[in-house]
Amino acid sequence: MTLAAAQRTAPPGAAEGTAPAVSLRGVVRRMGRETVLRGIDLDVAPGRLVVLRGSNGSGKTTLLRLLGTRLRPHAGVARVFGHDLVRQADRVRARVGLLGAAGGSYPVLTGRENLRLALSLAGRSRDEGAVAGALERVGLLAAADKQVRFYSSGMKKRLGLARVLLVDADLWLLDEPYAALDEDGKRLVDVCLAEARSRGRTVILASHEQDRDHLAPDAVVELADGRLRLVSAAGRAAGEATA
Amino acid sequence: MSDVAAVLAVARKDLLQELRSRAATVATLFFTGTTLLMMAFALGREPGVLERSAPGVLWVALVFAGVTAAAQSFQADLEDGALDHLLSFPVSRAAVFLGKLLAAWAYLAALGLLLAPVATTLYGAPLEGAGAYLLLALTVVLGAFGFATIATFYAALTANLQAREALLPVLMFPVVVPIVLAAVRATESLLGGAAGPVGDWLLLLLGFDLIYFVVCTSLFHFVVDE
Repeated sequence: MTLAAAQRTAPPGAAEGTAPAVSLRGVVRRMGRETVLRGIDLDVAPGRLVVLRGSNGSGKTTLLRLLGTRLRPHAGVARVFGHDLVRQADRVRARVGLLGAAGGSYPVLTGRENLRLALSLAGRSRDEGAVAGALERVGLLAAADKQVRFYSSGMKKRLGLARVLLVDADLWLLDEPYAALDEDGKRLVDVCLAEARSRGRTVILASHEQDRDHLAPDAVVELADGRLRLVSAAGRAAGEATA
Repeated sequence: MSDVAAVLAVARKDLLQELRSRAATVATLFFTGTTLLMMAFALGREPGVLERSAPGVLWVALVFAGVTAAAQSFQADLEDGALDHLLSFPVSRAAVFLGKLLAAWAYLAALGLLLAPVATTLYGAPLEGAGAYLLLALTVVLGAFGFATIATFYAALTANLQAREALLPVLMFPVVVPIVLAAVRATESLLGGAAGPVGDWLLLLLGFDLIYFVVCTSLFHFVVDE
């Protein structure tokens, strides 16, 4: 399945012949005795928004963690922007931003400190203005100096989104970004995704949200029984996709 | 970012977490204080027994305190998937290990430097001269380094296991024996015991520190990468 073929027009900033943002060939990943990913093939061109669906336990988080270099494939070839996920993991990490389902912040640090840490680890110099800007963008400026352990689940998710915005990597991997958010928070995610696409960012988003058609993703794929199938792609309906 | 900056960022994060949560501090201070007192009572009041026991009791207290602290060192990283995010940044695994090691070393060294004079005084084994105090401080710092190296490595190894609090000491203790042995002998030598020149034991301690440092730093990525 080559999702890039489904898009008729090139996304902003994508040059002809650019390496795929994501290229998986026959990727297998086991968790214990269970094979969670069974020969995944996937190409995602730069600048695309791909929604990843699947039931609980289908392997969405596993796939995102693999793309974020937290897990290694047990078989197959996986590349991000042309870099091998295993042998060139450092180069992959320089271009990936991950938002896990739980938010990924340190509870005893404040929101502001968590973002400062993220900036440091992403190789950026200290920028209090950028940190404050990201917090304000997600509506957390008033709680910036409160420890994250006092945040609600929705606030933790917003802080995770702030981290992704601040780092602004080339590939965004978002695991249930709408979970725990109120309607304002969900609209915020939508706006951030639209802006990311306009800047040429590639987004792979795992979500159960059903009423997000206005996102107009370039493709919707579904994980089931460890295999990936194309549900729909921009300009092509389900059923026209070839594996 | 250079790895040095990453190391410092991770170390600062860990130390800040400990200063605020005091999760390990309260437990270790209470544990070590209790150990020193209980051992003093258990060893009795025979002349010389307490004095000769001081080096061993000090390092037993530090070892058990270190295990308690090590068990906590990765817990904050496991909450809310923070470790996944930490390891998804473009920072080498070695830098993450060194950052956590630096924080653990600072913590254990501070604990040891606080306990050492308390233990020597409590057990009637005073040091003679400023030079002896400096050498004792050096022994504590080197011993804490070796122990922190092993503790950080094994804490990462056992972090995701259900029985980690039981497994951690079981896995660690055989490996820390050379460090503890050299540190006890060096301390014994400083307190006037018949352990031989303190310099020999400090060199041995330094040698084991370097070996464990190189091995653990090199193997850390196998521990955290799945």
